[in-house]
Amino acid sequence: MTLDSKNYLKILFSILITLMIMAVIYSYYFIKHYPIPITNRISLDAKITFIKENIDIDSVDTIIVGSSIGLNNVQGETLQKSSTQAKSVLNLSVYEATPPQIEQILQLTPTFPNLKRIIYSAQYSDFAYEGKLKEYNATFIGSYIKGSLSTKEKFAFYFKSCQNIFFCIKRAWNWRDKYQQNNQFTYLGFDATGSVPLHIYGDDIIASRWQKPHSNRQNNRTFDALDRMSLRAKNLNIDFIFALQPYRQPLIDKFSHVAPTMQKFTQRVKNIMSKNSGKFIDLHSKLHLKDAYFADRSHLNDKGSLLSSQALGEFLDK
Amino acid sequence: MLFNSYEFIFLFLPITFFIYFYLNHKRLTEASKGFLVFASLFFYSWWNIAYLPLILVSMLFNYVVGTHLSKKRSTSKHYSSKSLLAIGILFNLGLLGYFKYSDFFITNFNMLFESGVPLLHLALPLAISFYTFQQIAYLVDSYKQETKEYDFLNYAVFVTFFPQLIAGPIVHHAQMMPQFAKAKNKVKNYRNIALGLFIFSMGLFKKVAIADSFAIWATQGFDVAQNLNMIEAWITSLSYTFQLYFDFSGYTDMAIGIALLFNISLPKNFYSPYKATSIQDFWRRWHITLSIFLREYLYIPLGGNRKGEFRTYFNLFSTFLLGGIWHGAGWTFVFWGALHGMALVIHRAWQKIDFKMNMILAWFITFNFINIAWIFFRAKEWEDAIKVLYGMFFGAITLPTPLKEYISIEGVAFGKWSELFYSDPQIFIWLLAGFVVVLFFKNSMQLKESFRPNIINLILTVLFFLSIFILYRKSEFIYFNF
Repeated sequence: MTLDSKNYLKILFSILITLMIMAVIYSYYFIKHYPIPITNRISLDAKITFIKENIDIDSVDTIIVGSSIGLNNVQGETLQKSSTQAKSVLNLSVYEATPPQIEQILQLTPTFPNLKRIIYSAQYSDFAYEGKLKEYNATFIGSYIKGSLSTKEKFAFYFKSCQNIFFCIKRAWNWRDKYQQNNQFTYLGFDATGSVPLHIYGDDIIASRWQKPHSNRQNNRTFDALDRMSLRAKNLNIDFIFALQPYRQPLIDKFSHVAPTMQKFTQRVKNIMSKNSGKFIDLHSKLHLKDAYFADRSHLNDKGSLLSSQALGEFLDK
Repeated sequence: MLFNSYEFIFLFLPITFFIYFYLNHKRLTEASKGFLVFASLFFYSWWNIAYLPLILVSMLFNYVVGTHLSKKRSTSKHYSSKSLLAIGILFNLGLLGYFKYSDFFITNFNMLFESGVPLLHLALPLAISFYTFQQIAYLVDSYKQETKEYDFLNYAVFVTFFPQLIAGPIVHHAQMMPQFAKAKNKVKNYRNIALGLFIFSMGLFKKVAIADSFAIWATQGFDVAQNLNMIEAWITSLSYTFQLYFDFSGYTDMAIGIALLFNISLPKNFYSPYKATSIQDFWRRWHITLSIFLREYLYIPLGGNRKGEFRTYFNLFSTFLLGGIWHGAGWTFVFWGALHGMALVIHRAWQKIDFKMNMILAWFITFNFINIAWIFFRAKEWEDAIKVLYGMFFGAITLPTPLKEYISIEGVAFGKWSELFYSDPQIFIWLLAGFVVVLFFKNSMQLKESFRPNIINLILTVLFFLSIFILYRKSEFIYFNF
């Protein structure tokens, strides 16, 4: 059916304008309910939104950083209860964060004026790969968290974040099933401090992650990043504590490459800590956790992370 | 300002459109032209205002020379029309040469004579290759008394009209000037607006949704990978072949669509080039306005086919060699131009002996030749081109492991079919879809011809416009570099 050109244009513009309005409304809804895409990592986006909405940045004295080993293996709330030193904990860990990425995340420390200590929770497997966060601007994120962006900056930020509306729809679509289930390794249901204790038991355990250890791959640049971030903390008068997290003992016993890799890794980290006046705690040797406390080879379940956090709290008080 | 940017689509274009037609509506036609020139120069300066004086000087110089040339054969005692034309052309080529080729010549000079002449590191002024050619054509035609006496404003609109300013189509004064002068074109034409939006949205979709998707894989193969297996190399080259097509034809569609909003019809620049069954056919379908320019202002003045067979081959080859150089200052472009020149010479020789070929085979050879030649067009270094070519013909073959049970060929390994593209198996669907679109779909010019303001085209326009939701992948058009 051929339309009159003028009517055709009227209909066309009506549809396009409606689509635009719908996109704006959806963007507003998305911003209010889901992590705004700020970086290229959903867990960091979710963490930034979480801090902005829930954390009193002036009171934070202890920050936990790391990959999932920091996010899942340390419960900030338990750490607060177990230590008289750590009164206000924030878990800034991000899934799959490499040491250079953690170094980038730690550029946010000026956002927390009363920060006294940084706890880096990790295992040797975290030091296998480098890689940096894309589109990461710590100054901007700091301002966003503090709420000091101007209206113009805020508008530009929301616009930029939501311009890929298909991405936002996909993120919202996946949010409940993928990121809100505590029996999955993608869980992003934060406790009051931003930690994510996993409730992975029985059938939810993934066999390959349980039975196969990490390779012995280690990347020198990741150690350089650790060196830089611990030195920076020292210069800022912030305590830097490296917490080596537990690993499933049966895998260490069964696979010959694991123990030497862990030993070598531990030594390198200890050297860096001692050079930069950092502290080191070996939770693996200290806790000797049984398999019942693990969700896979290196991630602890909520029972395990409780013990790990208590031990860490005690260490801080020593 | 990019056509595929929010500032262009939501601000610049609608504002320019409404003011232009408002001024025309108030019968301020000269003011409307003046506004169009101003808007076009603003559009041009958006990238870098430092380029503005250059285009203004070039425009003014060519206008003055052109006007002199068009006024009867020069009566001046001091110079002949021919020398004036020569000065005009030399000025244009000198400008282009200085900005585009200085460092290329210095690098080669240094290499040849082991000297250390420092490079100039000049930024290539945007669109210089296009507006230079456009104005050379104007000078030549003025010399031939084929131009009318245009005032400077009309001339400025012709050169700067923003839809075609940056990357063509290379327009001819005889096509453009009468359109700007036509009273009918000064009134909003709803059919043209509907058609313009349809073509523009299709171009936007081609660029943003298709070309920029292929670009990811082409970049991976050309710039990231150290070496490529056979499958990876073919994916890389085909991805670039499709990227370039959808990028440039997308840009051209957008330019044609925008111009139509202003009731200006830009010349056809693409006509399903990958359907070509010979290299000559290809150049009648790809970047048509450049081919016409090269034919009219280079090949024919060189003698065309009027000076014997050998000279025809020489003229053909030289024209395409220079066409290659026009695209970029680098030996890979020279080689690309030479490849096409040689192919055209061979094709002509075949025609001469009345050599006939099966259509499908002819298409297959033509397409593969073009695909291979694009490798040199895209590669930043010779090594990159060799890497892709080597992979295509001598790269390792790795088949998926499940096929191990059925196939046993020496030299064929089984495992991941690609380390580079393994996480993107959809690439095969994209390539297949790419072939289907370029070979079996109507092209935008055919769609333009048959356009009716009906429900199907309305839905298509809306769907194509959804590309604005992925404009975050803002990337320049490939031809902006030329």
